[in-house]
Amino acid sequence: MEMHPVYLAMDPYLIRLYRITGCSFADFLLGTFVVAFVALFVGEVTASLAFLAAKKSIDRTTKDVIRYRNLSMEALAAGDKDAYEAANKLANDAFGQSFFKQIALSSAFLWPLFLALGWLNARFSGVEFTFVTAPYTVGVGCIFITLYVASYLLFRRIKYRLPHFRRIKTMLDAYDARSVEVKKLSDVFPLPDSAVQRTS
Amino acid sequence: MNKKGWMIVGLIVAVALVGTAIWTEPGMAGKLEDAISQAPVGTGKGMIDPKAEPGFMGIPGAPKTYWILNILWGIWVGWIFSSVGAFGGVMAGVGHITVFGLADYGKSFKQTCPVLNKLLTDSVRVCNQYLVGASAMISSTTYYRMGRLVLPLGLCLAGGGMLGAYLIPTLTAGKVDFSSYVGYFGIVVFLVAGVLFYETTPRGQASRKAAKQAAKAFEDANIRKTAGTEGKTDSKSLGVHITHLGIKKITFTFYGVEFSFNPLWPVVGGFVIAAISAFIGVGGGFLYVPFLTSVAGLPMFIVAGTSALAVLVSMITSIFTFMFMKSIPVDFPLISTEMIGVFIGSVLGPVTSKYIPEVWLKRLFVVLALYVGIGYTTKGFMGRSILPGL
Repeated sequence: MEMHPVYLAMDPYLIRLYRITGCSFADFLLGTFVVAFVALFVGEVTASLAFLAAKKSIDRTTKDVIRYRNLSMEALAAGDKDAYEAANKLANDAFGQSFFKQIALSSAFLWPLFLALGWLNARFSGVEFTFVTAPYTVGVGCIFITLYVASYLLFRRIKYRLPHFRRIKTMLDAYDARSVEVKKLSDVFPLPDSAVQRTS
Repeated sequence: MNKKGWMIVGLIVAVALVGTAIWTEPGMAGKLEDAISQAPVGTGKGMIDPKAEPGFMGIPGAPKTYWILNILWGIWVGWIFSSVGAFGGVMAGVGHITVFGLADYGKSFKQTCPVLNKLLTDSVRVCNQYLVGASAMISSTTYYRMGRLVLPLGLCLAGGGMLGAYLIPTLTAGKVDFSSYVGYFGIVVFLVAGVLFYETTPRGQASRKAAKQAAKAFEDANIRKTAGTEGKTDSKSLGVHITHLGIKKITFTFYGVEFSFNPLWPVVGGFVIAAISAFIGVGGGFLYVPFLTSVAGLPMFIVAGTSALAVLVSMITSIFTFMFMKSIPVDFPLISTEMIGVFIGSVLGPVTSKYIPEVWLKRLFVVLALYVGIGYTTKGFMGRSILPGL
């Protein structure tokens, strides 16, 4: 079947990545790894831009989730069942809003992954690799997903050396700090001295 | 989540991956080509004209999806996700079924080439699930950081979810024709319309208002008094503690308060939610939290973290089953261009929703959901939609 016009436009550039060493299998792995890495990088960049653009709205919903969740725990600690159920319901509603918003924003991270998968499927359709130890084969998609995960683990190590992602990390750390604002037992019921000594 | 928690999550995800990989069948490539070759050649309805311009999934003569329309529809879906919520996944499906004209095209092969008809059904539901489910999978990881994990509850949910997400694609792939799929999709739209409608009724509004008042009253009256509760509990009640682990009942304490659940409920709930998600091709992940808070009465703080695990495991299982075990072909350019639209829409949603009251937005979508629900159910089960445009 014919290649999609988008893939036809990408193909001459991407296929060069598969002609680096001259050894077909090594070229395939290396090329697919670079494609996976580029897909991951582009996804990370667009996800961070989407995050910056929607930050105000994320702040608002996160604040509601944390507020009502804290309140539900305060009510639980005070033994007020009605207040607990009311706050739990509101926390649930706020969670729903936050969850859907994040679903939509997550697509900013994933679109290059699907674009790359599509090109690989169109380019290497029918190519299969047989396991050395078992009579099973995997397609190019499986190899790509594995290398995408590997790129993710690699990129995580170098990501915050780039100024843009360092700035994003500072903002995300603030969210983490706020999620810690969620009441813990010790906030509501301060531990007796003996317990503190035991844990320290 | 601590290191141990991550290890447990990693282990469960690895089991899901290995479980599906082990049963991977060899030589499934070319499924679409095989189906196309079985269709009669010609220019009439239910035929394939090899000279025609390629459309959906590269099939000659199939409806062509233009990238600009994909992005625009994606913006609409993303806007709904960030302003209304639950209806976003449904709208993603409406796009594939009606706007891009795949239902009518798929149905045209019902008599002439049932294999292609069913393959198109599978492909559309996988496209839906990739678009919504994969994003739900990514966003669920956020809730690991925010919530806590009750391991027995997580295992029961994830176990049921894995079973549903594995069995439904395995049992139904290649067996559901497009008409039935559209009909079942219509029923799910009715359910969503029902939930949205309840939220806009005076009763639904009053229930939310009452909850807000009760929470506010408690906040005003008690928020500072809790400091005076010092010494009423001891360190033994810190965090989640399992106090009883049985086949019929699992009991744990949280904040010194005892909670219990029948392990059968989360297994059944996980199974049903994952099964519906995989069958219709919607996210479904959001259903876990309301299910656990209303059926089991558990605190949101625990449920968010625990259900995130179930979403992750069931989505990985479902997507891997469709992708590697059943080799369902997917239109990747369609999904990726729609995804670009979805995240643009998600940024635009909060900007525009400031000017439209939430309750009116929900009422608008109730009408839309009823229209789509009636249209799809009649189209699916009676042969044609009694409402125009569907």
